Amino acid sequence: MKKYVVKRLVQLIPMILGITFLTFLLLYISPGDPAQKRLSAQGVAVTKEVLAQTREEMGLDRPFIKQYGDWLFHLLQADLGLSYKDGTPVNQKLARGMKNTFVLAAGAFLLAVAVSLPLGIYTAVRKNRFSDYCIRFICFLGNALPNFLLAIVLMYFLCIRINAFPVIAKGSLQGLFLPTVALAFPLASRLVRQVRVAVLKQLETDYVSGARARGVKKGYILFRNVLHNALPSIVTLLGLSVGTLLGGSVVIESIFMWPGLGKLAMDSITARDYPVIQGFVILMAVTYVVVNLLTDLGCRLLDPRIKE
Amino acid sequence: MNKKIFVFLSILIVSAMALAGCRNHTGEGLPVNETEAAGEGREQEKKILRVSEAFVLETLNPHLDYQGWYTSIYGLTEALFAMDDQSSVKPVLAESAEAEGNEWTVKIKENACFSNGNPVTSGMVVRNLKNAGEINPRFSNLLDYNYKIIDDKTFRITTVEVYPTLLNDLASPELAIVDLDNSGDMAKELVATGPFVISKFEPGGTVEVARNDKYWGGEVKLDGAVFYYMPEADTSLMAMQNGELDSYTSVTSDAAEIYGQAPDTYKLVTVPATRLQFYILNENRLGAPVRKAINLAVDSEAIETYLNGTVTSTSGPFSPTAAYGKAAKAAVDPEGAKELLEADGYILNVDGYYEKDGQVLSLNIAYYAARSLDTLAALMQEQLGKIGIKVTLTCEEDPDGTYIATGDFDLALYCMIADKASDPYYFISCTLAEGAPYNCGGFSNGKAQAWIDELKVETDREKRAELANRIVQLAIDEDAFGYVALFNKTTVMRKGVTNVSENCPFDFYFLTADTDMD
Repeated sequence: MKKYVVKRLVQLIPMILGITFLTFLLLYISPGDPAQKRLSAQGVAVTKEVLAQTREEMGLDRPFIKQYGDWLFHLLQADLGLSYKDGTPVNQKLARGMKNTFVLAAGAFLLAVAVSLPLGIYTAVRKNRFSDYCIRFICFLGNALPNFLLAIVLMYFLCIRINAFPVIAKGSLQGLFLPTVALAFPLASRLVRQVRVAVLKQLETDYVSGARARGVKKGYILFRNVLHNALPSIVTLLGLSVGTLLGGSVVIESIFMWPGLGKLAMDSITARDYPVIQGFVILMAVTYVVVNLLTDLGCRLLDPRIKE
Repeated sequence: MNKKIFVFLSILIVSAMALAGCRNHTGEGLPVNETEAAGEGREQEKKILRVSEAFVLETLNPHLDYQGWYTSIYGLTEALFAMDDQSSVKPVLAESAEAEGNEWTVKIKENACFSNGNPVTSGMVVRNLKNAGEINPRFSNLLDYNYKIIDDKTFRITTVEVYPTLLNDLASPELAIVDLDNSGDMAKELVATGPFVISKFEPGGTVEVARNDKYWGGEVKLDGAVFYYMPEADTSLMAMQNGELDSYTSVTSDAAEIYGQAPDTYKLVTVPATRLQFYILNENRLGAPVRKAINLAVDSEAIETYLNGTVTSTSGPFSPTAAYGKAAKAAVDPEGAKELLEADGYILNVDGYYEKDGQVLSLNIAYYAARSLDTLAALMQEQLGKIGIKVTLTCEEDPDGTYIATGDFDLALYCMIADKASDPYYFISCTLAEGAPYNCGGFSNGKAQAWIDELKVETDREKRAELANRIVQLAIDEDAFGYVALFNKTTVMRKGVTNVSENCPFDFYFLTADTDMD
């Protein structure tokens, strides 16, 4: 097990090198100049001399490979550099965004799991019944509704019409509730369907029919056998969801004034803030690898048949 | 079974809502000052203005990049001079300024002091100007000047050459005067001269300011203000509707319509601001008759109507109320435009487009999808289509102007601040001078260049205005550009809120000592 974990972590190194090189290259060749964006952020024009001077100061006049090499050299010293946009250390910006995103993601994940697991199992058991159709229809809506619409509808009804929540409530439990629901609803809708399929697949196997024929109680089979066997697929699905959630959601973060990683990444891309984008990419790469590793380890624990 | 599930879900939802707590304005989500202000029996006592802003601040250093705009909006910082509602430069920390050739003698007000009580001295002002020159490339010219401190309240700036717009530069909010000895690195603390002081600063989030009890400029009417970071216009609208905000600027047209329906609750003020929508006609690709026809066909008033109050159509780049905003353009005349094209040898084909020598008259409009330029592009496509010009739209990804710098366009739409400091030279030198960064369409006129050179050193304001009007008129007459509209600055205020710089066309003013609320 230990060897397996070390191996997976070592694989991270070439992966990060490849990803950061590609990101840096894509940013480099994409239109837009970080110096121009910084100087003209408010639509004020600058002279060519000032632009050239700023490009030099920011190191943008150097060849691509030198820029990337310098960035990599600093990375090895755990220094992600300073934001082109405002001179703030990238580490600081990412740490703040990560903290906010983590709180939101954890809330949304827990809520989505709390709702989707029982509903997924219930719809599988009640396959093609009225309640199954109702829940699936709601899940269909959850998958189809765009994030921003759901967020605004929630805010409109719960804050303006029912007056149950304030619009400005950042930093409190109240402030966490609406963005969590807005983020959890589509996720739960997706998970309900996926859990349903995973459980149905087990319910249709021969060992279930056999157990039923031998008079084993339905509830016992469901909770002791079916769920146990469906868990590796469910854990894998949950692992994938965690990765997505930790990437942040631009729309939810913007509407609910939640300064997380999604908004930070989007703003940085717009401003061509290379150091922040690179930092974000590394963070996401590491997050995905770690989450996938934990998922794999979880699956191995649940099902010892899964080998390396 | 279904009933059980329904009951279970209902209980779950109700419990979740109960756990999250019902609506409570004085709850933990509100900033400390506001919570205190909303406390029992104290709501009447404290006047805390709640504002939303679409930008986010990472540091309080006003000299860095555009941070000075925001510290000025928060009422924290002031410069030696400022622009007033009529776009004139007025002294703030400065008492007076006199020029003799390339020497400017500036006198600072006797009572001007920082929020810690330290007086504003000429030595500190000079250090501030040099600091801004060092850390902000847009003000690096300040390092080329000589500074001489005459006494505690007087200093002299000697510029390299005659520099008539120095006072306009000194009115830039980036040149705010700060107590550099007591503000640390200005990352989180700031001792400045504004009517408010920082009370809570969360980088990338909410900013709270409190009254500066030692304000040199007289009584400050508000106790404080809270600026919430709200990048989404819909959130600001709902917070305003819910009574959680008192005012904000950059109101969208949809929101303005909603506020307009409740005049007893909200007051809306719209003024033409300094941001200009314009287009560059590429003289290297388009002949004079085609350029003229385009300018005759583009109906900026129809565009203003379509954009529903967010812009005001314009003839020139500057506000018509300014002395240097008197340029005029020809009236919209689609029939005249067609006649011009026909006189140039174009013939209308069966598809309704003009063509010459078998070539359809087509042009591409390059633009970026922000600041309503996408809508403008679509409207221009329609208007030009009506006079028989086939238009294709090229949406560029970058809004920073690099796409126009290439000159690879027939017509390029752009949006920029045309009047950044109550003087026309900045815009004219950036767009009309030979080799200027935004002169990308091949405009080159000896007479205009001579006038621009004259404008650079002319000190008489009336003559400057006259020169500016002549230069802009020449560019309009040559059909090198088309000036479409000035963006409006729309501010909404809850009834009882006053003096939030709502009549000022500049974006970087908001809170002042006179800002008040019932």
